Amino acid sequence: MTKVKICGLMEERHVEAAKEADAIGFVFAPSKRRVSIERAAELAKHAPVSAEKIGVFVNASIEEIEETVEKVPLTMVQLHGDEPDELVQEIKVPVIQAFSIRGKEDVARLENSVADFVLVDAPGTDYRGGSGHVFDWTLLEEAEIEASRLILAGGLNAENVKAAVHQTGPYMVDVSSGVETDGRKDEVKIQQFIQQAKGDSMQQTADKTGFFGKYGGQFVPETLMKAVKELEDAYMEAKGDPAFKEEYHHYLSEYVGREQPLTFAKRLTEAWGGPKVYLKREDLNHTGAHKINNAIGQALLAMRMGKRKIVAETGAGQHGVATATICALFDLECVIFMGEEDIKRQQLNVFRMKLLGAKVESVTKGSSTLKDAVNEALRYWVTNVEDTHYLIGSALGPHPFPTMVRDFQSVIGEETKRQIVQHEGRLPDTVLACVGGGSNAIGMFYPFLKDESVRLIGVEASGEGLDTEKHAATMTKGTEGVLHGAFMKLLQTDAGQVLEAHSISAGLDYPGIGPEHAYLADIGRVKYESITDQEALEAVVSFSRLEGIIPALESAHAIAQAEKTAKTMGKDEILVICVSGRGDKDMATYAERLEGLS
Amino acid sequence: MNRLKLLKEQDAKAFVAYIMAGDGGLEKLSEQVLYLQKAGVTAIEIGIPFSDPVADGPTIEAAGNRALKAGVTLEKVLKEMASWTFEVEVPLLIMTYLNPVISYGVERFAKECKKARVSGVIIPDLPYEHRQLAQAFLKKEDVALIQLVTLTTTEKRLEAILQEAEGFVYAVTVTGITGARDQISEDVRTFTRKVREKSPVPVYAGFGISKVQHVDMLREDVDGFIVGSAIVEAFRNQTIEEIEPLIQAVTAPHSV
Ligand SMILES: Cc1ncc(COP(=O)(O)O)c(C=O)c1O
Repeated sequence: MTKVKICGLMEERHVEAAKEADAIGFVFAPSKRRVSIERAAELAKHAPVSAEKIGVFVNASIEEIEETVEKVPLTMVQLHGDEPDELVQEIKVPVIQAFSIRGKEDVARLENSVADFVLVDAPGTDYRGGSGHVFDWTLLEEAEIEASRLILAGGLNAENVKAAVHQTGPYMVDVSSGVETDGRKDEVKIQQFIQQAKGDSMQQTADKTGFFGKYGGQFVPETLMKAVKELEDAYMEAKGDPAFKEEYHHYLSEYVGREQPLTFAKRLTEAWGGPKVYLKREDLNHTGAHKINNAIGQALLAMRMGKRKIVAETGAGQHGVATATICALFDLECVIFMGEEDIKRQQLNVFRMKLLGAKVESVTKGSSTLKDAVNEALRYWVTNVEDTHYLIGSALGPHPFPTMVRDFQSVIGEETKRQIVQHEGRLPDTVLACVGGGSNAIGMFYPFLKDESVRLIGVEASGEGLDTEKHAATMTKGTEGVLHGAFMKLLQTDAGQVLEAHSISAGLDYPGIGPEHAYLADIGRVKYESITDQEALEAVVSFSRLEGIIPALESAHAIAQAEKTAKTMGKDEILVICVSGRGDKDMATYAERLEGLS
Repeated sequence: MNRLKLLKEQDAKAFVAYIMAGDGGLEKLSEQVLYLQKAGVTAIEIGIPFSDPVADGPTIEAAGNRALKAGVTLEKVLKEMASWTFEVEVPLLIMTYLNPVISYGVERFAKECKKARVSGVIIPDLPYEHRQLAQAFLKKEDVALIQLVTLTTTEKRLEAILQEAEGFVYAVTVTGITGARDQISEDVRTFTRKVREKSPVPVYAGFGISKVQHVDMLREDVDGFIVGSAIVEAFRNQTIEEIEPLIQAVTAPHSV
C-alpha cells in the first residue's frame, strides 16, 4: 500500500495531525518552511517512533547533512539540488533524490539515480522542487523505474491523490502545499489527504493511533494483532455509548463506593508548614486501591465483546485482587499470573484471590516478578486469544490498553478537579501521584493536562538508591525501547536486555513506564522525581500518625515526595496527593521493616 | 543477490532450521551451522536471545536464558557471523525481538546483517503496521524483512501482508507460542492452503512442527517447514542426528 509523507512541517499540532502518515518531512534548505535542527528535533518528539523522519536539503555539505541526521535524528535524507553521486552514496541513511520532471530527458536522469528512492516533482519555484504544480504523470509510464523506488510529489492534494496513486503505483506520495490553507498547514487537510491516499481498505490497519508522541504502538506478535484491533474497535464503540458509561459509573458508585472524598489534611498541612494539602482517597475503594476502577471498566468491555474468560498479571496482588473480585461479581473465569517472588511477599493477597475463586499461577521464570508475570499473561493470551480478554493492570501494553486504562482511571482526576473547586474555588497548584506502570498517576493527571497552571509530579521508586542497581526509576535512568507491546522508557542493558527493577513496593517494581508518561516527560508537562525505600517507609509512619491513614507503600512514595515539594511552596498554595491505596496489603512488610517502632 | 530469491525456484520442500545463537557458548554456532548445512537444510534461522521472549515457549526461552548467561548479544552474534571464513551455502536468517535491534540501532543492524551475509530478518514483535521502523534500512542493504501470518490474521491484513512479502512467508501453524506439539490442528491445512494460493513467495510453516507426521499432514499445502524447539532440544541433548530423518522427510523428493 502506498505510503504517505507530509512535508514541510513547522508546528507541533501539524506533526500530531500527521500521526497516521508514514513519514514526515522537515525542510533545512532556504524556504518559507525552513526549520532549524533544534526545532526539527523538538517537532520529531511528537511523531510516532515508527514514522520516517525525512530531512530535505539543497546542495548541503555532507557534514551539514550528517550533523542534522544525528541531531534530529533523521531516518532518511531527501536531496533537491545537484548533489553528485559520491555524496548520495556517502550518506548513511536511505536517500531520496528529487527530480523535476519537465519532459522525457528528466525521466532519463532519474533512471540513472544511485539513490535508494527517487522523488518526482513538477519544476519548482520554492526550494527548487516543491512548487505545488502538477506534472504530467503519464511521462512516468515509460520510465524504467521500479515502482518500489518511486515517490510521487508535485501538486498533490486530497482531491487528486487517489488518481495519482492509481496511475503510477508509487512507493510513497509526498505532499506539502496541498495540505495548506493560506500558506500554513491545515490539520483537516492533512487528515483528509492521508485518508484519500490510503483508501478506506487499509485505513484501520495503517493508522498510528495509539501513539503518544513517539511512544506507544502495537508491538505484539502477529497472533495478537486481531485481538488488539478488535479490542480497539470495541473500546471506541463502547466509549461512544452512553449506556456503557452509565453502567460503568453505576458499578463505581454502587459497588466500589465512589465518589471518594478529597480530604483536607489539616495536621499534615501544619506539620509541613507550606501549602494546603488535600488527599484523594483511592484507599477507600472496595479492595483498597485505585486498581478496581480499571478492572470494572475492562470486565464490562470484555463481556460486551462476548468474552467470559479473563487473564491478568499482578505484582503487589492489588490488581489481581481487583480482577478476581470483579470476576466473582460478574461470574467470569479468572487466571492470574504472579511472580514467585511476589507470591512470597504478598501471601495475604494470594489467599484473597483464591478465596474469590481465581486461579493463581506462579511464575518462576526470569526474575519471578511483575515483568515475568506480564510475559506469562501475554503467552497465555496468545494461546487463548479467541475467548479470553487480557485485563492489564496499568497504563501499559499495546494500544488500546494505555488509552483505555487511562480513561477508566480518569475518574480520579475528574472527581478531584470538581472537588477542589468546591473546596477552594480554584484549581490546585501542584498534584502528585506515584508511578509504577503509571495508571493512578495518568488517571489523576489526565483531566489536568490542559490546565497549565497546575504542576504535575509523578513519583517513581529509587529503591536502595539511584546510584545502586536496585531501583525502579525508569524515567530517571531508563532509555527508549519496546517491552510488552509498547515503545516506552525501559531499564535495560546496553545490549537491549530488560533489567529487573527493585523496590520495596511490589506495585512500583516494573522496569518500564507507560508510553503516555514517557511522552509527558519529553514535552516537560509532567516532572518525574524518585523516592527511596527508606524515605517511603518514613512517610508511612509520619502519615499514619498525622492523618490516621495507613497508606500503601506505593502511595507513600507520593507522600514522601510531597513533603519535599511542599517545602518549596507558599502557604497560599494548594497541593493534592493521590493516595492510591491503603496499607493493609503491606502490613507484613511494615511489621518487619519497622520493627521496634515506638 | 539475496539468496532467498533462489528459494522460489526450488522444487523440493524447504527445511529451515532454527537454532539459538550461543546456547552452549557462541563458539558452538559455526559448528552447528556447518552441521546443519551438511545435513541438507535449506536455510538456517539464527535466534538472538532476549530477556522477555513472549512469542516463545519454554524450550526456546530456556535456550535463550542459557545464551544470555553466556554473555551472548546481538552484536557478538553478528560479529561472529561476519568473521566466518568457511563457505556458507544456505541462506542465513536472523530471528530477533525488536528491542535488541532498537538498542543496537536499526540502521547499524541492517548494515551489520549485510556484512554477516544475512539474507533475511524475522522480528516477531514488529507487526506489518510498524514495519517501516526497519523496512527501509533493511531494503537498502538488500536484507528481506520476513512477514508472519497466523491463524488469526484477518483477510484484509493477509492480503496486504502478502502483497509486500519478501523471501518467504512464515505461516504460524498454532494459535500460541513456539514449542514442540503432539498435534497440529486440521484448521491449519485450510489456512496454509489459503495463504499459499495468495502468496507471491514460498510459504513455510512453523511453530510446533517437530514430527514427521506434521510434515506429512501439511506437505501438500506448504513450500517448506521451519523447525525450532525440536532442533534446539536435540543440540542441547547431543541427539541432533535424530533430527536427520525429519530433514529427510521434508527435503527428499516425494511421490504420492
Ligand atoms: C496502591 C497502589 N498504588 C500504585 C500502584 C502502581 O501502579 P500504577 O502506576 O499503575 O498506578 C499499585 C500497583 O500495584 C498499587 O497497588
